[in-house]
Amino acid sequence: MMILTGKTLVSAVRPPYPYGGEFVSQFLFTLRLCWFPLLVSTVAVSYGAPGMQAANFAILFGALDRLGGFFVLAVIREFAPFVCAIIVAGVAGTAITADLGARKIREELDALQVLGVDPVKNLVVPRFLALMIVTGLFDVFAIIFGVTGGIIATLVNGAPLGPFWATFFTNASTTDLWGSVLKCVLFGAITAIVCCYKGMTASGGAEGVGRAVNQAVVITFIGVFAFNYVFTQTLLATHPEMQVIR
Amino acid sequence: MNGTSWVDIPRGWITAFGVTVKFFGKILGQVYSLRVLRFFGETLRQCGVLILGSTLVIWSLVFIVGLQCGIEGAYFTRAQGAPAYSGVFAAWCDLREIVPYGFGYMMAAKIGTGIVAEIGSMRITDEIDALEVMGIDSVLFLCATKLLASWMVLPFIYMASIGAGFFASYLAVVVQIGEVSSGGYSLIFWMFQNPPDLLYSVIKAMTMATVIVLVGCYYGYHASGGPVGVGTATAKSMVVNIVLVHLIGMLGTQVFWGANPRAPIGG
Repeated sequence: MMILTGKTLVSAVRPPYPYGGEFVSQFLFTLRLCWFPLLVSTVAVSYGAPGMQAANFAILFGALDRLGGFFVLAVIREFAPFVCAIIVAGVAGTAITADLGARKIREELDALQVLGVDPVKNLVVPRFLALMIVTGLFDVFAIIFGVTGGIIATLVNGAPLGPFWATFFTNASTTDLWGSVLKCVLFGAITAIVCCYKGMTASGGAEGVGRAVNQAVVITFIGVFAFNYVFTQTLLATHPEMQVIR
Repeated sequence: MNGTSWVDIPRGWITAFGVTVKFFGKILGQVYSLRVLRFFGETLRQCGVLILGSTLVIWSLVFIVGLQCGIEGAYFTRAQGAPAYSGVFAAWCDLREIVPYGFGYMMAAKIGTGIVAEIGSMRITDEIDALEVMGIDSVLFLCATKLLASWMVLPFIYMASIGAGFFASYLAVVVQIGEVSSGGYSLIFWMFQNPPDLLYSVIKAMTMATVIVLVGCYYGYHASGGPVGVGTATAKSMVVNIVLVHLIGMLGTQVFWGANPRAPIGG
């Protein structure tokens, strides 16, 4: 997998760039596949987990207006990247593994190599770039819809929205936003590499493709969550100004 | 575009939905009427597969998200000026939300796609037809046994994974960040949860598990189109499972904790 990462990075920047069309089609493919699950999931998660539980807690103290501030922490820092990664890995990643795995066991990848076409450059690099960019952009949508979940939670509790926005925007910082987007871009990279690797090394007929998808998604989830922990810890420890409640 | 084409799409969805629900009803009926006990040996074998194949992966994912809960809780409560109360955040985050979600994700990833891959490849190699020819009810033998096995095993795996999450949060808050003493953390942590919370959490996770196993069986049983079809079915089942896990998580929170926060705070 590390070798594949290295090869991908090298052939992404080395001059002949034949992957433009494939990149665009992968980008649109991921976009079309993921937007609806992403929308439903982010609203559901952020209404349920941070919205309802935190609103309940805040109401006990009569401080529902602080919910906006909490949503900066909950949605921008945690849930938006987290749901993005799950959706992209589970939806686009599995589709990529299934696609490449099918090509592998029908020996299309070998045929490409015989024709002198480099599979890494023509198949892996466009998927790698497309997933990185799509995941990063999806993060913005996930934040918007996550905050929508917070708005629903506020309205369900019969509180006005003004204080929610006030605390949201005083607590939000640029560092939070770029941290979140950067995290998502790297999640996309992890997903793409793991899923392409598992697809390209699939073997053993029909069951092999299914098993490859299964392993790919398990490894991606574990990898993404482990990376998330390290990244969040580093970000929080190196940017103490993010932790100030305003 | 002629006049009928746009009607066909929703009609197709409704048909697919009906077929799905009928299939789910069949499996549930077979488990409920205890006809599944005819294949109790197969059920026990599936239990073994679940325990040996999935336990460690589920625990490790829940452990990682538990760590995550811990550090977020510690930093958040420190920012509020009340680091001693990081136990509240950890208790609610772990038990009520993150552990069920983490469990659901890993169930979908490991067990759900595993079922699709297994049953799907049996379908396209005509093994399911062979079962039918031998006079064995294939849905009963393949799907109902898996559902019963997951009901027998998963509550215990889930409770152990809650333990893994709690342990991880403790590690993150007390050992790693270290702003609150072990005793102080435990006092608040255990004060903000009680046995009914655990029961609700288990119900939430078991609903997710049931749905995931059913969806996996459906997509595997109806796979078609050669090796490529199995891969595509696996990928599709993952989409459905993820959306359903999130919806069940939200509904569970709304039903169990929406009207009553169940916190030991006066008022």
